[in-house]
Amino acid sequence: MSDNIIEIEHVSKRFGRVVALDDVSLTVERGEVVVVIGPSGGGKSTLLRCINHLEAVDSGHIVVDGIPLTQAENIDKVRAEVGIVFQLFNLFPHLTALENVTLAQRVVRKRSQEGAESIAHELLDKVGIPEKADAYPAQLSGGQQQRVAIARALAMQPRIMLFDEPTSALDPEMIKEVLDVMLDLAREGMTMLVVSHEMGFVKAAAHRIAFMCDGHIVEETTPEGLFTAPKEERTRQFLSQILT
Amino acid sequence: MTLDHVVCETETPAQTQEAEARPLWLRFDRWWLLFAGVVFIVLLLVIRRPDPYRRIVVFLEDGIRVTLSITVVSFLFILFAGLVGGLGRVAKNPIINGIASIYVEIVRGIPLLVQLLFIYYASPIVLRDLGRRLAAVWPALSVRLIEIKLNPFAAAVLGLTICYGAYMSEIVRAGIESISKGQMEAARSLGMSYFQAMRYIILPQAVRVILPPVGNEFVALLKDSSLVSVVAVADMTRRGREFMASTFLALETWMMVALLYLVMTLFFARVVTYIERKLSYVR
Repeated sequence: MSDNIIEIEHVSKRFGRVVALDDVSLTVERGEVVVVIGPSGGGKSTLLRCINHLEAVDSGHIVVDGIPLTQAENIDKVRAEVGIVFQLFNLFPHLTALENVTLAQRVVRKRSQEGAESIAHELLDKVGIPEKADAYPAQLSGGQQQRVAIARALAMQPRIMLFDEPTSALDPEMIKEVLDVMLDLAREGMTMLVVSHEMGFVKAAAHRIAFMCDGHIVEETTPEGLFTAPKEERTRQFLSQILT
Repeated sequence: MTLDHVVCETETPAQTQEAEARPLWLRFDRWWLLFAGVVFIVLLLVIRRPDPYRRIVVFLEDGIRVTLSITVVSFLFILFAGLVGGLGRVAKNPIINGIASIYVEIVRGIPLLVQLLFIYYASPIVLRDLGRRLAAVWPALSVRLIEIKLNPFAAAVLGLTICYGAYMSEIVRAGIESISKGQMEAARSLGMSYFQAMRYIILPQAVRVILPPVGNEFVALLKDSSLVSVVAVADMTRRGREFMASTFLALETWMMVALLYLVMTLFFARVVTYIERKLSYVR
């Protein structure tokens, strides 16, 4: 049995006339860190959002940890296994950092208040902001908010973490604190699918790179392959733009 | 449209900042001046000219109670109707959405006065007719329908709830739609069901957004409750009409009725502002 935790087969998705995904196939192995790069509008975020069914696919199959994403009851099962971190954090502004991390544990995982809080404190400690447990999102910097968002996703003990441009809404000096948390996760063996242009993260943590453009995966390669010898012209163009 | 605006606009930013530290009920702004002025006039009239003003107030007393209780009772039902209607309006299911939309569109297109008249005078006829038709199929229900007698208070509450429920649905819908889509996505991606996400994430945020318009609705309802006087409910307005009919003191009666409505609406507008401040949070 192959150890593919995410299998995306011939997935297509269009928004009206715009084709966001055109016959995309991608697999991610357990414990693997895959980074998706490419120009904006290329379908990277859509691909990620299809994996936990924030967008429904038009055709093709997605299987997450052996669960096909088809019937409604499966969608909730998959969502419980997959954590997602958004570009704009999407923290719940009416709840404190601690409550953001405990709420889903209590209402979805049915953990006790104390149990959920002890896990939440542990995770806030792990992402480096134990002292902000009682702060509201508006009182936190962008980097701190994003780290709370990561803790919130981790609290559900997901097997896969999806990151949708987690640092692109952050000020430069806050990017590192978020990337450090992500690097720790990668080292611990978390399966991660990351949409990001942080080449530092790519070099340090990625096992594989997928280059997406116009709804296709144009090239799949290793980090070394990407930086030394990109095969496709389109990849080369893109790299020359973001690396200078 | 409502007094709430008057209250807010009378405070310039500088005054607001300076007074921010004091609790709202201790802030002596123009609202206090207006409220104290109106109460003072009422008291002055009642004490200095007990005939007819004290007589009017004593005569209206039951009516004041009816007006307040009909407003409060209806408002509780309206909040519930608005929640259900609002959730229906944002539902993706076309049947639920369709029913909610048709309800809102129909009710908003008919004057409240006509709705009240229909419910009190016309709907018993409809029910009686329905009862006769059902005689063969379901005798027990048929008898109940034929003998139905609408209690004026219940009819008034029903009419106000149906009408204001539609407006409240639109307020709730707007409140829900004002919360960014990312909130629902974040909640769903954590494994919450649609209703869990609504209950724990969307509605608590929407409530804070819609509180000002909901408060306005309460004050508007208090005023519109005067329309129930046409369906045999002895509210303040109806009591005023009765008093005038027996004494012909039109000016005195309607001035006192107007002043008493003003006292109530000013008071509740302030309560709404107070609750708003209490519920606001750092964003």
